[in-house]
Amino acid sequence: MANPLLERQINFLDYTLSSLWRKRYKNLAVVVVFAVVIFLLASFQLVSNGLLERAQTALVMAPEILIQKMTAGRQESIPIAYAERLHDIFGIRQVVPRVWGYYFDEVTLANYTVIGRDQVGGGTDDQLAQVLSEGRLPTAANETVLGQAVFRTKGLQEQRIFSLFRPDLSLKTLTVTGLFKKESNLLTDDLIVLSLADARDLFGLPDGLASDLMVTVANPREISTVAKKISEALPGTRVLTRPQIEKTYHMIFGWRSGFASVCLLAALAAFFIFAWDKASGLAPDEKREIAILKILGWQTADVLVVRFWEGAVISLAAYLLGCTAAYIHVVFFGSTLFLPVLAGWSVIRPDLHLLPAIHLADLLLLFCLTVMPYLTATVVPAWRCASLPSDTALQGG
Amino acid sequence: MLIELEAITKIYNQGQANEVQALHDVSLQVAKGNMICLRGASGSGKSTLLGIIGCVFPPTRGRAVIAGKQLARLPDRFLTLHRRETIGFIFQRFNILPALTVLDNITLPLLPLGMSPRQRKQRARVLMEQLAIQHREKFPAGQISGGELQRVAIARALINDPPIILADEPTAHLDSRLSREFMTIMDNLKAAGKTIVLASHDPLVTDHPGLDQILDIRDGSLHVS
Ligand SMILES: Nc1ncnc2c1ncn2[C@@H]1O[C@H](COP(=O)(O)OP(=O)(O)OP(=O)(O)O)[C@@H](O)[C@H]1O
Ligand SMILES: [Mg+2]
Repeated sequence: MANPLLERQINFLDYTLSSLWRKRYKNLAVVVVFAVVIFLLASFQLVSNGLLERAQTALVMAPEILIQKMTAGRQESIPIAYAERLHDIFGIRQVVPRVWGYYFDEVTLANYTVIGRDQVGGGTDDQLAQVLSEGRLPTAANETVLGQAVFRTKGLQEQRIFSLFRPDLSLKTLTVTGLFKKESNLLTDDLIVLSLADARDLFGLPDGLASDLMVTVANPREISTVAKKISEALPGTRVLTRPQIEKTYHMIFGWRSGFASVCLLAALAAFFIFAWDKASGLAPDEKREIAILKILGWQTADVLVVRFWEGAVISLAAYLLGCTAAYIHVVFFGSTLFLPVLAGWSVIRPDLHLLPAIHLADLLLLFCLTVMPYLTATVVPAWRCASLPSDTALQGG
Repeated sequence: MLIELEAITKIYNQGQANEVQALHDVSLQVAKGNMICLRGASGSGKSTLLGIIGCVFPPTRGRAVIAGKQLARLPDRFLTLHRRETIGFIFQRFNILPALTVLDNITLPLLPLGMSPRQRKQRARVLMEQLAIQHREKFPAGQISGGELQRVAIARALINDPPIILADEPTAHLDSRLSREFMTIMDNLKAAGKTIVLASHDPLVTDHPGLDQILDIRDGSLHVS
């Protein structure tokens, strides 16, 4: 015959499952409530991780120093000649002028972001080159690299040529030489990248002007020193550094996730009250059942094993259900419940699809916050009850 | 002697405001294969004495040796082990779980032994047939009659084939026909070599001819009659 120790466990599991089945409606309700809490927590975690990862990609792509010309508190075009005034500053590796703006496409009714800049650092260590899924950055006139959404909305497939209107309504024809990766969609989805001259041509911008100047430094630790020197050399400009941009980013993100955390904490608190209620007392029929099992020769440990299985089945079912639902919610439904709270830009980009970042540590944390307390709440009161002498089962009524 | 009690005292809630001395200085011996009856009014201590014989709890003072083991020396874990090997207890309130089926109730003591469902069913079926309740096998225990319920309790007490059978007020919920049937079952068990201790104040039990001894219990003390 089979191993009696194993057979014992199977017997207990069998007993647990049939008693769960007998109270199936009540237990189903518990699993649903429990799964909703886990779903909320897991969705939040997946979305916030996804966003955090996007934010990090964004920061990687941000220039180390950005120079903008300010007039009367507003940004305006900056003369490329300003770059020559920076030659004397030690520590600057490269100054690259950039044109960028928005292009409203009357045909597709979409708003595209246009960036015009020449290749940085000979091409290979260009940050944009790192997020290409195919092709290459533009090298010649009238070449362009597109984000996925532009490619899609423009209806491009085999044919890789399309046209945009200049301000005077003449057509500018462009050839697609590359596409950006899906993973960088948050930043590149609606992007049209051209050479500096082509962008100027598209927007009708005079020669010698750009939107801003991107500065790369030789030593990243000198960013703030270099930035200070630049603002001294170029009065009337605003100099933004990557650490500054990073900070703003985190502040906005932190505030939003903080707000969401408060809501989630409320859900978690409700769950704990529910668990506590369970922990604080067994129902009379549960007490009676334990007393009967004990007087029939079950050990305290046997009773606890049954209660453990009961808690484990319910909480693991809820955990798997909640986590799976959260994954589906985030991946297939674009986290419709959370994105508006966490990310302001979802209104502008309703079709933003996050690829959720699944971290084992987060899943474990969630496990510890939900499954563990539930298990404790089922096992501990039973343990207290089962370790009392079972003479109550002896008395007549 | 299968059951040996010497100067047993049992005090509930010792040292607390609700302290009750349920047994005083009780001594008792039952030989293997005997059937005896404890007779006494309500509250006299019958259930408490059966609890000690049945290894449910050790006495507060005194020596209790049941089937060769001295109870006072056993920790709860071993008391339980000893109980499930030697005692078949038919409780005053039956202690049946109403939501479980008749079969599941009868086989409850076998689960911790690691016995497979098929073996459990086999054993239970033999007993259910002997007690004429096989047609109730799949019924929830909450839906059967009082007489059937008691047979379920008997079957469960016998499922481990224990040498000692204890029955606490077994006829309290039965009419006279069922009570007589119960005593017939006990006679058969005695004939099969079981040692039986009954507790009752029902004349149908206390005047039963098959008894080897009747002990009167009053306010926690035993009086041989
Ligand atoms: N668990 C307990 N805690 C405290 N006192 C108890 C406990 N069990 C029994 N008693 C008390 O011990 C005394 C003896 O009780 P016991 O149940 O042994 O009597 P009994 O003869 O079985 O009575 P009945 O015929 O009503 O079943 C009673 O006074 C009862 O109140
Ligand atoms: Mg009693």
